[in-house]
Amino acid sequence: MGMMKKSRIKSPWLLHYDGSSCNGCDIEVLACLTPVYDVERFGIINTGNPKHADILLITGGVNQRAARVVRNLYEQMPHPKVVVAVGACACSGGIFHDCYNMLGGIDKVIPVDVYVPGCAARPEAIIDGVVQALGLLAEKTNKEAAV
Amino acid sequence: MNELLIASLVIMAAPFLGGLLSGLDRVISARMQGRVGPPVLQPFYDVLKLLGKESLAANRRQVTWVLAYLGLIMASLVLFSLGGDLLIIVFTMAFAAIAFVLGGFSVKSPYSHIGSQRELLQMLAYEPVLILLAVGLYLQNGSFLVRDLINQGQPLLTSLPLVFIALLIILTIKMRKSPFDLSTSHHGHQELVKGITTEYSGPALALIEITHWYELVLVLGLVAMFWTSPWWIGIILAFLAFFLELIIDNCCARLTWNYMLKFTWGSGLALCLINLGWILARGKGGF
Amino acid sequence: MITGKQLVSAAIWLPAAAALLCYLWRSYKGRNLVVWASGVVLAACSIGLYLTGPFNYQPGEIAGLSWNTVISTADFALLALILLIGIKRRHILIIMLALFQAALLIYFDAVLGGGELEPGPAFVIDHLSIIMALVINIVGSLICIYGVKYIGEHEDQHSGQTSATSWLSSHSGSRQPRFMFWLVIFLGAMNGLVFADNLYWMYFFWEVTTFCSFQLIGHDLSEEAIANACRALWINSLGGTAFALALVVLVRYGGGDYLSIQYLLIHGAGPGMTMIMLATALLVLAGMTKSAQLPFQSWLLGAMVAPTPVSALLHSSTMVKAGVYLILRLAPVYIGTYLSDIIAIAGGFTFLVTSILAVSQSNAKRVLAYSTIANLGLIIACAGINTPAAISAAIILIIFHAVSKGLLFLCTGFVEHRIGSRNIEDMEGLADRMPLTTIIFTVGIISMFLPPFGMLVGKWAALEAAAHLPLAALFMVMGSAVTALFWIKWLGRMLEGNPGEVQSGLEPMAINYKASLIGLAAGAVLLGILVIPLIRSLVMPAVSQYYSSPGLNTAAQSIVIGNSGLFAVWPWFVLLLIIMVSARLLYDPKKTKSAPVYLCGENSSSTSYTSTGEQSIQPALSSYYFDGFLGEARWTPTVNSLAVLIIMVLLGVTVL
Repeated sequence: MGMMKKSRIKSPWLLHYDGSSCNGCDIEVLACLTPVYDVERFGIINTGNPKHADILLITGGVNQRAARVVRNLYEQMPHPKVVVAVGACACSGGIFHDCYNMLGGIDKVIPVDVYVPGCAARPEAIIDGVVQALGLLAEKTNKEAAV
Repeated sequence: MNELLIASLVIMAAPFLGGLLSGLDRVISARMQGRVGPPVLQPFYDVLKLLGKESLAANRRQVTWVLAYLGLIMASLVLFSLGGDLLIIVFTMAFAAIAFVLGGFSVKSPYSHIGSQRELLQMLAYEPVLILLAVGLYLQNGSFLVRDLINQGQPLLTSLPLVFIALLIILTIKMRKSPFDLSTSHHGHQELVKGITTEYSGPALALIEITHWYELVLVLGLVAMFWTSPWWIGIILAFLAFFLELIIDNCCARLTWNYMLKFTWGSGLALCLINLGWILARGKGGF
Repeated sequence: MITGKQLVSAAIWLPAAAALLCYLWRSYKGRNLVVWASGVVLAACSIGLYLTGPFNYQPGEIAGLSWNTVISTADFALLALILLIGIKRRHILIIMLALFQAALLIYFDAVLGGGELEPGPAFVIDHLSIIMALVINIVGSLICIYGVKYIGEHEDQHSGQTSATSWLSSHSGSRQPRFMFWLVIFLGAMNGLVFADNLYWMYFFWEVTTFCSFQLIGHDLSEEAIANACRALWINSLGGTAFALALVVLVRYGGGDYLSIQYLLIHGAGPGMTMIMLATALLVLAGMTKSAQLPFQSWLLGAMVAPTPVSALLHSSTMVKAGVYLILRLAPVYIGTYLSDIIAIAGGFTFLVTSILAVSQSNAKRVLAYSTIANLGLIIACAGINTPAAISAAIILIIFHAVSKGLLFLCTGFVEHRIGSRNIEDMEGLADRMPLTTIIFTVGIISMFLPPFGMLVGKWAALEAAAHLPLAALFMVMGSAVTALFWIKWLGRMLEGNPGEVQSGLEPMAINYKASLIGLAAGAVLLGILVIPLIRSLVMPAVSQYYSSPGLNTAAQSIVIGNSGLFAVWPWFVLLLIIMVSARLLYDPKKTKSAPVYLCGENSSSTSYTSTGEQSIQPALSSYYFDGFLGEARWTPTVNSLAVLIIMVLLGVTVL
């Protein structure tokens, strides 16, 4: 299984979901794809399809509506999978946490593996968060029970 | 016995070659975009990872069509490497593509349906050129067998130069490159998600990827066929074609199917016809 | 010991007798029994003929009258009937064509004495006739077996519409006996047509099939049905007129001997035979009307208003096959002429255009109709290419097309009665609703165009053509690419499924349906597997009897069976089997999880999503039809005028 684990670490495919972010973090996420940061060096691909993704990367907190979407996307991803919450809002609700429609951070809805703080989170921090998530991904198995 | 050996060798070696080529593809593309890019072995990591993932499937048909896609592409590659009938190889490739399309149709998903419909249009665009390539081979050699070509001294490129250009045009479709990567986008966040492969995940997606590798080797083999003696010129030709496709991929945006159909049927078929007419006229003049 | 002659008589008279019995025995059980029994006997007859091999047969006299007299009288009676129909429907074209034909026949009989000529044995049963007989009697009988059940259901569903009465069966009540009468007698007429060597006799059977199809198309008596039946009648009368004119020209300018097809084949070809070539071109034209080639396609498209077994019969084993049979039969006469090239181009043109038009159709029967016309075009193109390999391809196409198209129509009819629609879009997800039918349907569709079935054959022919006719080759190559498009779209609709839905058991199917559907599906698969023995034992003899020069024959052998054309088929079936078995092993519906379809996140069920208005919305999927781009209405006038031009050239080249 050594080879399999190695492949898992070397080929993380992302699904990026914008919960209710102010788009600051989203722009930083996209910045990671540019030649300056070039995350494809790590084999990272931004898939846009939960069925192909290994890492669910969420920016912004969850509101009532987004909660269903987040849960659904998470369920559509095949095991093993990890969740990375990017930015202050995704971690805790951030400056929106008191809003009438907010539930709070992502962990109110699905289990989060890595928290990346920042407002907005810097690309270096995001990449670091993803790389940490890879360590967790390698240890997970595809038999693991869902939430 | 010898044939069996070649067949099993091809079946085993082709994915490695195809995987390396697509790794190279990603590195070269990245360099063209001013990036470092992934390691060359990246496609192998991707496929191994996918194989280890949980398998999700909508129904048995979906799984069956993927296996059919893989099996038929493998069969056509084996036929090709044994020097079989080019016409049969083209038909088998068509059957394989149809299996892929039906795989996309087998789930009630808007994205995979659009992908499948577009893949059908892609088939419509490239199929006539491939058949006319076989016809050209027949007119030139009096046989559809690829093996007869290898014994022939005269390179095919000298008699079928225009068909070769037409083949390069449809190579863009076959390699799923811009501007004609209509059915499965290779970049995320696009209007059709992942098109025909949207509903596949894990091992099934890995099989599709492996099939693409086989297909890549096969279509590059078709290019190499244009110069068989000495064989290394053919290999160089295939690499040049491969590189040309990468350049095209990186400097083109995706176009609509109307344009693809008009372009391939307009220029591709016209090139083939002129070339075939020329061979016929020359043949008649010779007698 | 039963002789071949008895078999021929049985093949012609048995359907007539069975038809009459169907008409008179006014219970379903009786009719069913008659149709089953006659079907089995007819199939046995055709197999018997195959075992007997080629022979000639001249029937004796009947009640002191020569058969020629009987046929003449019957011809005029039939024309009188058609004339009456024309007058009743106030259809000026039918009246004029019937009168014109009658005038030609009077001239032929009275002035030329053609009716009494005996240019040779009236029936010549050769390998081609035997192939046709096998197709007609086996496929046709299965369709009749289906039809007897279907028409009962059909009448239950349309009981309101059938209360009107027709002048032919003015009694009230069930019209099922009448339907079965015309359906079964059709087989007899077709048998006569393919056995006849005397063109005058063939003309009689030709007219009988026209008349039968008129009766069947108009069966429902709705306004549309009657209008379309009349259209079929006049277009086919046009063909009949061309046929009659050809008879006159042959006897007037060639001599009585030319009425025999065998004589025509041997002596008709060659230079200085202008009038014979003109007659041949007229016969080809007649064949094109019957085979609904452009610009005559409208009658076959209109014919789909009839109950489905009629379409199945007209499209697969009878009627339209008569046209291509005649054209193929005459191929040695026009070999090496410009006429041959024009026929190839006309056929190729029809193939390409109707394939493209089929893409824009969502009505299943209309798609099938266009595909029939396209395939007939391909057969005619092969005849025009006129090399041994192309003729072999044409014969193989006739056989495969009969089985597959019959099967597809019967499936469509069965599905239509179950889901109440013949629209392809409504067949969405049929695989989970009607698994057995879907399997049979899939076999039918796949056998229409995928290797190792039909598609291959068409493509060889294209390559044969490429050697001297690049234009026809281009038509074929493009046409066959388009063909795949509309079949796969259709198949895709049917094989669609919802995630995680496990199909329940097979749906029930009445015995008549089961016999015909499964019989034809098994036939399609068997033909696919056994295509090489089929070519050796049936097709090669039929080709080699006309292309007798040994060089040609070996060339055909090597192209058809050697390594440059066909290939070993069985590995493909083994591969398919491996794929299916491994899919069964790899996929366990109980263990494999199924995720809902991806719909941008907010699913409300596996295939629907929640809208911004908090409603669950089911996305509607549909195929591409390109209606504005390829629409029928947009292109039909243009292609029809092009086709008229081709027909004019076709007649013109013979005279020039």
